[in-house]
Amino acid sequence: MIVSLLSRALMMSTPLLYGSIAEVIAERTGMMVTAIEGIFLMGAWGGFVGTYLTGSAFIGILMAMATGTMTAAIYGIVCIFLKQHQVVTGTAINILAAGFCTYFQRVLFGIPTSPLKIDPLSQIAIPVLSKIPVIGPIFFYQNSLTYLVYFIIPLSYFLLFRTSIGLIIRSTGENPEAVDVAGINVNGVRFVVVLLAGVMGGVAGAFYSVGYLGMFTTNMIGGRGWIAFAICFLGNWNPKGAVIGTVVFGFTEAIAIYMQSIGGGSYFPNELFIALPYILTIVLTVCRKNFNVPAKLGVAYSKEN
Amino acid sequence: MEAPYFELRNVSKYFARVVANKDISFSIGHGEVVALLGENGAGKSTVMKILYGLYKADEGQIFMEGKEQKINSPKDAMALGISMIQQHFSLVPAHTVTENIILGNVHGKIDYEACKKTVKNLAQQYGFDIPVDAKVSDLAVGVQQKVEILKALYLDAKLLIMDEPTAVLTPQESEKLMEFVKNYTKKGNSVIFITHKLKEVMEVADRIVVMRNGILCGNLNSKETNEIELARKMIGKDIVPAERKKEDTKQEKEVKLKVNRILVQKKGELPILHDISFDIKAGEIFGIAGVSGNGQDELCEVISGARKVTEGEILLNDEDITKLSIQERIEKGMGYVPVDRHRDAMIMNMTLSENMMLKTSFNKKWKKHGLIDKTKLDAYTKKAIEDYMIKAPGPDAEAKGLSGGNQQKVILAREVDNGKELLILNQPTRGLDLGAINNIHTAVLEERNKGKSVLLVSTELTEIFDLCDRIAVIYKGGFMGIYNHDELTTGKIGLLMAGYVREGEV
Repeated sequence: MIVSLLSRALMMSTPLLYGSIAEVIAERTGMMVTAIEGIFLMGAWGGFVGTYLTGSAFIGILMAMATGTMTAAIYGIVCIFLKQHQVVTGTAINILAAGFCTYFQRVLFGIPTSPLKIDPLSQIAIPVLSKIPVIGPIFFYQNSLTYLVYFIIPLSYFLLFRTSIGLIIRSTGENPEAVDVAGINVNGVRFVVVLLAGVMGGVAGAFYSVGYLGMFTTNMIGGRGWIAFAICFLGNWNPKGAVIGTVVFGFTEAIAIYMQSIGGGSYFPNELFIALPYILTIVLTVCRKNFNVPAKLGVAYSKEN
Repeated sequence: MEAPYFELRNVSKYFARVVANKDISFSIGHGEVVALLGENGAGKSTVMKILYGLYKADEGQIFMEGKEQKINSPKDAMALGISMIQQHFSLVPAHTVTENIILGNVHGKIDYEACKKTVKNLAQQYGFDIPVDAKVSDLAVGVQQKVEILKALYLDAKLLIMDEPTAVLTPQESEKLMEFVKNYTKKGNSVIFITHKLKEVMEVADRIVVMRNGILCGNLNSKETNEIELARKMIGKDIVPAERKKEDTKQEKEVKLKVNRILVQKKGELPILHDISFDIKAGEIFGIAGVSGNGQDELCEVISGARKVTEGEILLNDEDITKLSIQERIEKGMGYVPVDRHRDAMIMNMTLSENMMLKTSFNKKWKKHGLIDKTKLDAYTKKAIEDYMIKAPGPDAEAKGLSGGNQQKVILAREVDNGKELLILNQPTRGLDLGAINNIHTAVLEERNKGKSVLLVSTELTEIFDLCDRIAVIYKGGFMGIYNHDELTTGKIGLLMAGYVREGEV
């Protein structure tokens, strides 16, 4: 039972990993991607539509990347080049995304009597590895998106801390002037990482529709984009920290679902478990000390000053 | 004749409708040190930023050894061997020295060990003692500047542009920097340094280019000119220095401010201020000299009430004010001009009138039937505008529309009026041009002659020497001593600012 709970926790963590790592990389350049909730939702919708219309989950996920990137691009253009406030812009885009999905979902499919279904991604058992007791069923009996994230975690760490691109990314959030003087286009760097956050956030969104539920509803993200946003803070702007934070959140979510399924509601109100990750966000954000905030987080860069 | 190393021809730059540079032409040869002299806002930094590719010139050309070059970004400039050290260092404080130096100059995977070694070797070559693994935020300002220079040397710069390099240094550190400049140019490299300090210009420059209001107004050989001629060219008119009358020493004056053994310390950290005691008499200007960041700002905050003391007491006219709030201290007649006027002294989007009542808004004198008495406030502001010769359209003008010097005059006018007893000035002339500095100095001396006590914090030694009756030197949060005006020389004060107690310790 514990094994299936942990396996479930890992699965629920996958989209949060995509989202929070994307957020870590973007925030290291000073860009808070506050549109992450909207990017998740657009990814979920794009993934569903792509898969439903073509029957291919692969194309669906590509579509999710495209819709996520599109949303991120709007955010990037408004915040980076038009220098608007990041939180205000992000909030506006999140509202826009919700309206966009609802509207076009109805334009495409009308109001169906029963929910439209697609086949969710299947669990793939990795030969040999999945046979290892305990570890095997937890780590090596997952869907393809979870396997992909196994590679993204070390890759993102390596990128940030071992390569020249990572040095540039980290410097951009601390002192963009230094980057500018070194002959690198600050706003270009920021735009690229925001687009990257769009790609990864899109995949995260698709995980909910294509990878797990096999359907789309306009409230299916339900604040999980914000959780990814919070994990980036809790993880101290480090991919390693993001992994730890994500596992905690994935675990509580898995417990909530599990308690619901065994009827734990007779002992505890089920709403408490559903609310648990959100309560945890608040508690941990307040308790966490020694923040390593990028110095220029949320500040637009303009040269002429 | 051989073509000069770099040449600017008729370079102009406009910001919106303001002319920043007009028709600037000058050249620099191999192995030459050129000083770019001018007041703040004369356009010195702008023209150098054009040469370095940070700004784009609207008109004009740049030549390198007779060939025209298009410099569109710092990358282009670096490819030509140009490097620029900004006035505000462009270092990443949270990163190490090595990371700062290799930023943007390595590709792919970084071999940190190899990079460290290269940086270490380079530092040794120029006799710089720099810990390559240290975080930049942990280094002293003088060392940070060396990191900046090293960054340029790492790129094999042949022309080094330095924007006000000595502004943050002690006299001794400045001397070392000048030594470096001489060594560096001996190898055939060139240096342009931007400054408004006449003394260092005469010391190290081969040629002096003077700018005023965006126009080039002099290109002189340093051997054929002198400081008086340069000052005249730079300002455009002769300036009458504010004169400090000798104080009347016979008369015993009352003590207004008394500070007793102040300690400011956070738990488990080194003290920010320790064992600070002094007093200021009526009609006295008490100066605090020192390199910035040695506790000056904190001391001003402690006296004005913005920061709590851990131990010690502060007396104003024999009354203990240590526990009083900022507002209560203002009511007792304390005026305070903080170092960062944009952050602590003004609201840029408000009018001058509103700014004038900012710190006394609680006072009943501004109220009429419970509302702000705008007529009275505007009249008061208008008078300040006239008295201090503030260039402003009127009391309803927004503060952000004024130049830095005029903004500072508004603050000074307000604080002089608030500070009926004591006036605290933290670097009141920082970033201002000579004309405005002169106005402010005159006003401060006038207040002194009226019998006010003035606490003046400054990093400019000339300001300290011109104005102060007694001078304390602050270093790492403690006083190195309190001296009468005549007891100090530039050399001695420089040593004290660097923390040396006796000259023998160097």
